[in-house]
Amino acid sequence: CWDKRELTDLAIISAIGIDRTNDSNYVLHLQIINPGNVAGGLQGGGAGDRPPVSVYSIEGNNITEALRKASMKVSRRLYFAHTNLVVINEKLAKEEGLDFVLDNLDRDTEFRTTATFVVAHKTKAENIVKILTPIDKIPSNKVNKTLDFTEAQYGRVVKINIQDVLKTLAANTMAPVIPGYMMIGDDKKGVSMENTQATDPKAILQADGLAVFDKAGYLKYWLEDDESVGAVWLMNKIQHTFINADWGKTKDAVSLQVTHQDTKLVPKMRNGRPYIHVKVSVEGIIDAVKYPFQLSDPKVLAAIEKALNKELEKEISHTVKKIKKNKIDFIGFGDTIYRKYPEQWEKMKDTWDKEYLPELPIDVKAETYIRRTGLRNNPIKHQFKDD
Amino acid sequence: MPLFSKRKNNTDSKDKQNTDERNQEQQQEKERPVLISPSLAKNIAETKKEVGSSSDVIIREIKIGEQDHVHLAVIYISGLVDNNTIHESLIDPLVQDESIQNTHAIQQILEKTLPLGGVKAEKSWDKLFSELMLGNALIFADGHDEALICSTQGGEQRSIQEPSTQVSFRGPRQGFTESLQTNISMIRRYIKNPNLWVEKMKKGSVTNTDIALMYIQGICDEKVLKEVKQRLEKIDIDSILESGYIEQLIEDETFTTFPTMYHTERPDVVAGNLLEGRFAIIVDGTPFVLIAPALFVQFFQSVEDYYSRFDIATSIRILRVLVFFISLVAPAVYVAATTFHQEMIPTQLLVVIAAQREIVPFPAVVEALTMEVAFEILREAGVRLPRVVGSAVSIVGALVIGQAAVQAGIVSPAMVIIVALTAIASFATPAFAMAISARLIRFIFIIASAVMGFYGLILGIIMMFVHLCSLRSFGVPYMSPLAPFSSQGVKDALFRVPWWADEKRPESVSKEDKVRQGKDQRPEPAASRGMVNKDLEEGDQNGT
Repeated sequence: CWDKRELTDLAIISAIGIDRTNDSNYVLHLQIINPGNVAGGLQGGGAGDRPPVSVYSIEGNNITEALRKASMKVSRRLYFAHTNLVVINEKLAKEEGLDFVLDNLDRDTEFRTTATFVVAHKTKAENIVKILTPIDKIPSNKVNKTLDFTEAQYGRVVKINIQDVLKTLAANTMAPVIPGYMMIGDDKKGVSMENTQATDPKAILQADGLAVFDKAGYLKYWLEDDESVGAVWLMNKIQHTFINADWGKTKDAVSLQVTHQDTKLVPKMRNGRPYIHVKVSVEGIIDAVKYPFQLSDPKVLAAIEKALNKELEKEISHTVKKIKKNKIDFIGFGDTIYRKYPEQWEKMKDTWDKEYLPELPIDVKAETYIRRTGLRNNPIKHQFKDD
Repeated sequence: MPLFSKRKNNTDSKDKQNTDERNQEQQQEKERPVLISPSLAKNIAETKKEVGSSSDVIIREIKIGEQDHVHLAVIYISGLVDNNTIHESLIDPLVQDESIQNTHAIQQILEKTLPLGGVKAEKSWDKLFSELMLGNALIFADGHDEALICSTQGGEQRSIQEPSTQVSFRGPRQGFTESLQTNISMIRRYIKNPNLWVEKMKKGSVTNTDIALMYIQGICDEKVLKEVKQRLEKIDIDSILESGYIEQLIEDETFTTFPTMYHTERPDVVAGNLLEGRFAIIVDGTPFVLIAPALFVQFFQSVEDYYSRFDIATSIRILRVLVFFISLVAPAVYVAATTFHQEMIPTQLLVVIAAQREIVPFPAVVEALTMEVAFEILREAGVRLPRVVGSAVSIVGALVIGQAAVQAGIVSPAMVIIVALTAIASFATPAFAMAISARLIRFIFIIASAVMGFYGLILGIIMMFVHLCSLRSFGVPYMSPLAPFSSQGVKDALFRVPWWADEKRPESVSKEDKVRQGKDQRPEPAASRGMVNKDLEEGDQNGT
């Protein structure tokens, strides 16, 4: 931040995508903002028909080389302080891990480690960076805002930035979990302004699943939709989501909109072996009812709460099983044990993932409380029945 | 060249300008006798010589007494005297009184004839002429080596009007006039106390301007008074046309943009400051009265702060300080952030600013300086022009600078917003002297931040504060009560506590009598609640 640089000499980079070619060269995709086309409405701003960002792809043996080489293609000084998205290729993450990217990005003085990290799922990083998005003009903002919103509303995704990844890598047992992002549609059409000019964009970007990494930073497996919600519950990162419970034969008879929740991992020792007690307390509002409950009756509500508890416990236990099977403790069960039983942990720490985690007894206990039933008491069906 | 030197020690007339006139003057001076002569003709001739037969000097020769054998000459300057007084209280009684004897004419007139408040006998020409110039009438009698000075001051003056600067919603509507006497009396009407002392002196060897030093004995610090009297005595200048002359001659530090003396047009402000232990210097011929010792925080205070309730006054004061800093650093911050620290601007905002800067051909600093200078030109043009033309300037300025320059892509709209904000902010500082110093320093800050970014700006701000802390106003630290800190002083600095809580006068200024009011002045709501309850019991209207 020392040198004087005019705004007109800066190429403001909003997102970086990292791919690899077949002959093991890196390809860097730099999403550069065209300010005039974003702000629009001013002089010289027929913003509607020109793309708000331009993407330059540069190949090189390593990232540094690629960035230096970029000067041949970009007329301005590359400016990373406003980069808020880093997309890494799925294949690259599997084969080479995150080390080389993280080191490079963390070392840079300009780059902010608060940038969001995503893995391009089932597509190349290039596409995530290149697709033009309607509504939010700058694609990286769209990705960020979608993640924020999904994390808050749906609870299937967590937003992770580079700093979080570095922190989890430094923890005892926790491993990084990075949200996936995929492109649906035609990547050829997605890169032109036409994509933003139709009511039904030809290519869209969509948050998709969570990529689980091991402690060394290699991508190991994906948690898809329903598995990921259990993981987010365990991470205690749910803000709002929903729980559906069956009632008798009626499937999804009642849906609860979660308004508050608190998930606690309580480590305990039994005969010198650790076990984890997961306590989930949920508070919510009934959102929809398909079965003619007598909701004004507290006993009915208590029964519904029980059904919801069971459903939630099932969801979480499902994920727990998957965690045990894959032997990656990305939730940090080991860390909670280390915090409470540091002495016993000394014996476990070397073989935690291999030996202890698959055997670790984890019991899940959910406690739901229905705060309100919405603006209605009894369902409409019930009214009809009464008449 | 309205002024010419009449200094007695200035005889080496090296400059040949107006040599004739000046030599004549000096010769006359040398020739003039010290005392008046008994001959009326000689005295009249002497007067005419001294005033150069000026047409506004009226010499009225009259003959009075039983057989008209008392020869008198009444001399006064038309316009400076009150014509009614001259006619009704001076010439008329003289002409009517037939008992006047030639031998005791002066004595009789002095003791009996004239129905005037101030009449005295005088022999020295110097005294007589200076009284004449003040608007008093002189009476010479043939055969007497004494003349009478009659107080007939008057003439046309501006009446007391609402001050044009320091306007307030609430508070007295009167402002000072150009007359020293009126101004002193206006202050006296606020402070009806014999301890309000006025010391008069004359300054300006040519203009002989009356100056009054006003203070409250017992509240004003003796040391400060001694100091200001010394400084005033040191003044040796040909003319004092406005209180600004005095200010510049006695202020503590010349090379600073910050004012170390406060000036005001409002008598209530002067009264308030006198009561805090300050002194006031009133100069004849100007409505602007000087107040010192002045503190930095004082320039952010307005009379209304004291008349309105404390919560409002406090929040408005904080706003004023904020606004002062905006007017000081807004363009500099813009320049620093857009050329050095783009990472500090939120991305969305950066993109918007970048879009505007995209077509601007100049670096941000050039843009900022151009716009600031353009604005200063506009303001200066607008201030000096007559009101009729003034509106034309603002239209041209708004259209050319605000609209056309942006449309032409010479400057970016963001810069126009910054300059406009700065301009409005500088108008919101209540004291013009402080606002104008911010205007100057702003340019230094713009350059500092253009060279070194925020680092330079912060350096500049630190240096400004160091400078502010080094300033003194008649020995009182300029930044007090903030630095040195005084817990009593800050009660009425950036905040203003309710009146009942401000028990003492500011420590840094008033050294003598510090207690302003009694303790436990806080209004007791319990008493009024009792009243309400009693009403309810008796009337029982709302009880049920």
